[in-house]
Amino acid sequence: MIQASLSKDEVSAIVVDLGSHTCKAGYAGEDAPKAVFPSVVGSIDQMEIDDADNSDKNSGSAPESKSKGKRKLYVGSQDLGFRRDHMEVLSPTKDGIVVDWDMVENIWDHALRKCLLVDPKEHPMLLAEPCSNTQQQREKSSHLLHQDVPSLVVDCGGGSTTVAPVHDGYVLQKAVATSPIGGEFLTDCLLRSLEHKGISIKPRYAFKRKEIRPGEFQIVDLDFPNTTESYKLYCQRVIVGDIKECVCRAPDTPYDETSYSNIPMTPYELPDGQTIEIGADRFKIPDVLFNPSLAQTIPGMESFVDTASAARGLPQMVIESINKCDVDIRRELFSSILLAGGTASMQQLKERLEKDLLEESPQAARVKVLASGNATERRFSVWIGGSILASLGSFQQMWFSKSDDSYGVADLENSMHSLVERKLA
Amino acid sequence: MEPAVVDAGSGILKFNHALPEYGPEVIPTQMKQVPEDESSTDASLLENVIVDPVVRGFIRDWDAMEDLLSHILYTGFFASEQAVLSLYAVGRISGCTVDIGHGKMDIASVIEGAVQHISSRRFEIGGLDLTNLFAQELRKSNPLVNFSISDVEKLKEQYASCAEDDAAYQKVQQACPEEQHTLPDGQVIKIGRERYTVGEALFQPSILGLELHGIVEQLVRCISTVSSENHRQLLENTVLCGGSASMTGFEDRFQKEASLSSSAIRPCLVKPPEYMPDNLSKYSAWVGGAILAKVVFPQNQHVTKADYDETGPSIVHRKCF
Repeated sequence: MIQASLSKDEVSAIVVDLGSHTCKAGYAGEDAPKAVFPSVVGSIDQMEIDDADNSDKNSGSAPESKSKGKRKLYVGSQDLGFRRDHMEVLSPTKDGIVVDWDMVENIWDHALRKCLLVDPKEHPMLLAEPCSNTQQQREKSSHLLHQDVPSLVVDCGGGSTTVAPVHDGYVLQKAVATSPIGGEFLTDCLLRSLEHKGISIKPRYAFKRKEIRPGEFQIVDLDFPNTTESYKLYCQRVIVGDIKECVCRAPDTPYDETSYSNIPMTPYELPDGQTIEIGADRFKIPDVLFNPSLAQTIPGMESFVDTASAARGLPQMVIESINKCDVDIRRELFSSILLAGGTASMQQLKERLEKDLLEESPQAARVKVLASGNATERRFSVWIGGSILASLGSFQQMWFSKSDDSYGVADLENSMHSLVERKLA
Repeated sequence: MEPAVVDAGSGILKFNHALPEYGPEVIPTQMKQVPEDESSTDASLLENVIVDPVVRGFIRDWDAMEDLLSHILYTGFFASEQAVLSLYAVGRISGCTVDIGHGKMDIASVIEGAVQHISSRRFEIGGLDLTNLFAQELRKSNPLVNFSISDVEKLKEQYASCAEDDAAYQKVQQACPEEQHTLPDGQVIKIGRERYTVGEALFQPSILGLELHGIVEQLVRCISTVSSENHRQLLENTVLCGGSASMTGFEDRFQKEASLSSSAIRPCLVKPPEYMPDNLSKYSAWVGGAILAKVVFPQNQHVTKADYDETGPSIVHRKCF
């Protein structure tokens, strides 16, 4: 394939949005990211392999003192899609904060060198996420997208949901509301619910289809005893995530067991050929966004009781956030609510949110929820904002280079915060 | 002026005037660099440096590429992605292409002429790796024979086959009839199950020592990342292209493996139109390019030298993609 290369004068910026579920990377100025892959990485602890070998060979002797654990990381959908013995699936963030910068560097490296085929040294890079400290990027992009109209950004992502009012180019930090209920939580609810009903989700690596007689097929189970639980769960989540995206839709009214008990079932074919029927869950799962305590009624989700009870539903978060803002802009915020993020492309979510807000909001307010009609645009809204931002001439002057401040990777979070503040001042 | 079409691959360069029914001329992309000092008349002292302008599907040596292309004169330029062109060659604008070239393998989903980059994948496996594998295997069973890579390349094209299915492959590995072949230099070699090992490598990359799923599994996974409303379009219009796709038994084996996937995502290969030349899969991107050229150039949608001088390289992004 012939690659068009830019002359040295035209170096376009790279925009990277590392979400808790998916990493999006691409060139500034384009309308969608070129690279989209999971934010988790596969990790094989080299020490474990050595220990396993040692214990086979010399069962009597004590293990050698452990040197600093070395590990091999596997990034991207191709590498993660291949089952390996002892490979754990780990996330670089916990509760929205980066806990493993080495992993983050590996992810950026994969995005830039392997997916986009660029040398990071040659391109300015705009990073959005992973932590809420870098709201500055998001605020600026929202600002430019909506020209000074105060608006409320509702970002329904994989790992969390954030509601942030934006006015005059700044996020009103005190009014930001976050909740750990995001797309991944919904996927887990669905997974537990299906398991409770006796449906086993077989990961792709765990079976093979064989033709035993012409036209007759049979599923053969494959056993890989050294597969980690985290990898099995990762594979199951990928499958259940697809079920969720295909069959789930937000109900028009709050979910309750009795009214949805006779819902017609929708079929879905699993990768192993098993066809399952999904009924009430189609509506129950999305309703968790509006009523998190519903999650407690799903067997298997008991460990999330604390999370779920503390969390507020989406409409409550919106109202709470708006009420913390200045009285003057509240009306405008209600009429300019922006839905973004992967979970925002759920069917009927926009309509249900509008309806709930109309009921709860003051009589005088006009409620308008805006969402791009295009599912791709909703999924990548933050990235697209960054793409627009990074390609603007006025923003180009704000790039800071390594020479501006020397920082170690561990300080990136704090440094970025202060650097951006200085540049914006 | 008649437009010319160029498809520069890692192995061969396909070019000709835009005449889809005739197919392209082919020359190897690899070149030999002759040293500038021509004073020495002793040919054996001249060191021939091999230059590969295109490596694994990417242009690495732009100067060499320029030299190569200067052999073909042209006044206008248009670029398009191979996946899209291969689909045009079989009369489609949406579908999935599985392109197995010399240096790399590409699985790309195209919807209405636009490549879905997010669901496309490339792998650094190609005909080159299959040739190396074949050479490795032949050397094991014919330890006293000297092979050159170009010999093995020809042997591969002649003998490499795909077993009917996994079970058949296992059987062949146990016992396979051997054939004798005489190399151009007179040496006689035996070729047995190695020919099937080469064919199997695309379905079981572990044979090449790679931690990857087989080609059909990869295709299924790619398609499953696209939104489900587009699945049918992609699955019903799957096109195999590239030199290695014309291996004996490859298409049948591909269909067989495809039938093993769940019915929700079961790829189905497209039959090329009858008016197309027989060896279409080898040159489908070129043929697609020829078809496109007949549309683009008469309508002046191509990039002319004047455009380029005025706007610079970025004009390619604007006019072509």
